[in-house]
Amino acid sequence: MASSEKNELLKGTLDMLVLQTLSVQPLHGYGIAQQIEALSDDALRVEQGSLYPALERLQKRGWITSKWGESPTGRRARYYTITAAGRRHLGNEISSFDAMLVAINRVLRRA
Amino acid sequence: MSFLDALRYRWRVLTRPNDHETELAQDMEFFVNTDAQHRAHAGRGTLTPDDARAAAARRFGNRTYYREESRRAAGLAFFDVLAQDARFALRTFARTPGFTAVVIATLAIGIGANTALFSAVNTLLLAPLPFRAPDQLMNVTLTVPPTSTSPGQPDMVWSYPKVEALRESQNVFTDLTAWFSVQSTLRIDDDALRVSGEFIDQHYFTTLGVAPSLGRALLPAENRVDGPAVVIISDDLWRSTFNADPSVIGKRIGVDLAVFTIIGVAPPRFAGVSGRAEFWVPFLSAPSAWDAGFFTDPYQHTFHVIARLAPGVTPDRAAAVSRQLGPRIDARFPEPGPRPRHWGVAARSLDATRIDEPDRRTLYLLFGAVSIVLLVACANVANLFLVRAAGRRREIGVRLAIGASRVRIVRQLLVESVLLALAGGVASVAVAAVGVRVISAVRPALWSSQSASGIGTVLAGPMHLDVVAFAFAGAVAIATGLLFGLVPAVQATRTDLVESLKVDPGAGRRSAFSRRISVRDALTMLQIALAVVLLAGSGVLVRSLMNLVAVSPGFEPRGVLTMRVNRAAAWSRDSIARFYDVAIDRLRSVPGVTQAAMADCTPQSGGCVAQEVTALDHAGGPYVSRAAMHWVTARWDEVLRVPVLRGRSIAETDRKGAPVVAVVSQSAARALWPNADALGKRLLVQGRDTAVVVGVVGDVRFGAMEEGLRPDVYISYYQFPMSFRMMLMLRASGDPAALTEVARRAVREVAPGFPLYDIATLDTRMGASLGQARFLAQLLSVFAVLAVGLATIGTYGVIAHTVAKRTREMGIRLALGATPRDVARLVVGQGAVLAAIGGLVGLAGGFAAVRLLRARLYGVGPNDAVTMIGVVAVLLVVVLVASWMPARRAAAVPAVNALRAD
Repeated sequence: MASSEKNELLKGTLDMLVLQTLSVQPLHGYGIAQQIEALSDDALRVEQGSLYPALERLQKRGWITSKWGESPTGRRARYYTITAAGRRHLGNEISSFDAMLVAINRVLRRA
Repeated sequence: MSFLDALRYRWRVLTRPNDHETELAQDMEFFVNTDAQHRAHAGRGTLTPDDARAAAARRFGNRTYYREESRRAAGLAFFDVLAQDARFALRTFARTPGFTAVVIATLAIGIGANTALFSAVNTLLLAPLPFRAPDQLMNVTLTVPPTSTSPGQPDMVWSYPKVEALRESQNVFTDLTAWFSVQSTLRIDDDALRVSGEFIDQHYFTTLGVAPSLGRALLPAENRVDGPAVVIISDDLWRSTFNADPSVIGKRIGVDLAVFTIIGVAPPRFAGVSGRAEFWVPFLSAPSAWDAGFFTDPYQHTFHVIARLAPGVTPDRAAAVSRQLGPRIDARFPEPGPRPRHWGVAARSLDATRIDEPDRRTLYLLFGAVSIVLLVACANVANLFLVRAAGRRREIGVRLAIGASRVRIVRQLLVESVLLALAGGVASVAVAAVGVRVISAVRPALWSSQSASGIGTVLAGPMHLDVVAFAFAGAVAIATGLLFGLVPAVQATRTDLVESLKVDPGAGRRSAFSRRISVRDALTMLQIALAVVLLAGSGVLVRSLMNLVAVSPGFEPRGVLTMRVNRAAAWSRDSIARFYDVAIDRLRSVPGVTQAAMADCTPQSGGCVAQEVTALDHAGGPYVSRAAMHWVTARWDEVLRVPVLRGRSIAETDRKGAPVVAVVSQSAARALWPNADALGKRLLVQGRDTAVVVGVVGDVRFGAMEEGLRPDVYISYYQFPMSFRMMLMLRASGDPAALTEVARRAVREVAPGFPLYDIATLDTRMGASLGQARFLAQLLSVFAVLAVGLATIGTYGVIAHTVAKRTREMGIRLALGATPRDVARLVVGQGAVLAAIGGLVGLAGGFAAVRLLRARLYGVGPNDAVTMIGVVAVLLVVVLVASWMPARRAAAVPAVNALRAD
């Protein structure tokens, strides 16, 4: 069993990454995973499966919605779209994350 | 609209969980497939498709695990756990069938009994009367104001001339109607039904604001002598007898002896002001209502009056105006006789008079009693859960220790409590349904307006199971269960985990455990106290009932059949007297009839007439007194087996032309000629005829058993022919009820126009007159038994639990030389202490409560020693029953076992 502290941290971060990814365009699950991996340079080493609980969580909050569509290769795939509320939430999260980063950096530099 | 999106998502998850899961699996499948394709493509042939797929699957992680995590994130896992909890709860119940059964039964009884009784209270007291704007309706009655010699009477019926006078002189009512309730035989095609009906005037339906659902109400011109014979029937009758046929209007049916035309059908559930009516007939055109002077004699009081307030008139003002009208109406109809009574008028809201004051108090009393049963039931449920909680502390401690969350455990316990509560609720519906049926069934005896001589008693509608009451009682009982069902969870989170895991959690004497014991003890004592309150109440009532049953009625009720003889209007007084002669002779020759006679009223039939009599030959001049006057034929005393104490009874020869005679009861003899022999004394009867007293007979209780003895004067029907309907009494050699048809046939042979009705054995009439006392005593006894039973179970639970927890201590005692008897005594002692404290509190409360019953008691005081001894005896039994099994268990445990085991 993973340590719960790490879990909590990852949960919040993963949610934010998913929202950020979807804020550019609607994507299916694999697309989201690829984007995150590419952007984070594999720094966040999590199992890809952990994406799915996050997707359910975000839908439950009304931040993203899902809809079945067709992939470029012609197969049925579920596409996830960010909602207006999701964008608002993402904005808030990023600004408070930024503020925290600034604060942490300030503390670390002075220490 | 994030809110809507979220809602849509949750709705889908909730309503179509399987679809949701399938799609999730498909999505994951798509993910892994796509990844595998990409890998195979990137590997350019170095990777077999299988390897690519395996790598993709590895990268994805444990798919089952993530599916579970997703389910949890979606909120679906909740239901999985719920189902798990329910299964676990059912297994727990199966392991403890005794606990489960007792909790369910307790809930069922507590909720069910309360619902049933509240349904009755609601129908009879609280629900709005089924008329338009019922708060504007007033019940207007005649009154006899109290004088120095008599207490007065608040509720009297009207004579028709007085109703007319009221109608003319009042200005506070828009409408008022006169009516009275009857029992009639309806003849529909070849069927004959004996039903209740109402004889009404043309204002009845307009005053009540009720319109027939089919046809029409009475026209003003239809209530007159020799008017058209028309009838309105009830919706019930229309459906049951005419199959709801709309062409029933215009059909002709027989009401008693005449034929009536149906002009209307009353709306559904309307049963008149009496609450029992199946038909309505204008009284002036109803021949069976005719009696000489029935609507012209201002002193023949028959009618109830209901009035509707004029707009803007308050009930208080209407009452004040009515009060002022009283003397004016009285002045128009001065009562003849040497000591005329003066009448007043009173108006009260119909709602306030819908049920007799004593009946109202009875209902509230019963409701109070049944509320106590609910309280005891709740205490019992609480106690049972507490006892169980202590037993489950270890189980919960273990589950906490191996990682179960608090929430999970609370939910588990909640599910158990809810399931128990649901089962109890379902069972209570059955109890309530039976209860309502029982109360409705005894209604005729208890709530019959006839028992109150038809005055001031209004019933409305049949009883239904009351949903609100059910919800209320259910909520209370179930909330108790939930509350106390959660106790173990609360305790488990509060107490030291290590402590609860110890082999004997009870060993820590100063832990929370010892504090909980006292809560359980308090609950047990509360149960015992409440049960004792009911026990004392029912005990005193049962004693009172026994006294009533033991009262000598002054006659032999067994073996007597009584019935009313209705006479046809066409018969004159003289020809009726001849008919009675012939009929009695004919009946005496019927096999099985040993004696026959007639009288104007029989014991317990109601309708006896009280009159002024003047004792002449009195030491201090003529002495006026009131006595019940009885018009009888010869041998009435033989039929009733009333002892003739002195002289003789009324004889066959006491007819017109012979000397006028009277027979007096012992009480009358004593009241009229206190210090002299009544025989041979003269008595002024009906203000004009002088009769010589030829005999003294024993006292007969014509009215209620709890009433004191009243003076009775018997005169010969043939010397004082009167217009009342007479009653026929037959003494049978065998079963009197079997004579009904024979008697009917015999009378029909003599004169076809004389229907017999209101046929009942004297035993039945006696039973009905005791009905209310019996019903009250029975119902309270049932409640008391329930409460005592529940309290016993509660006490048993507490003692058994303590014994289980003290097994080790018992073992040590036994090992150190205590005898099994000592140990048993210790256990019984615990029960005795609980019962003694609870019992004392209960006795104090009980005898305070019994004071409320004082008016209902006969021959027994509220502080009845016999009852008190009885209550103490019952308490002893409770203690013995509750501690017997645990005591035996404690004493029988081998010492070694006790020391070794838990």
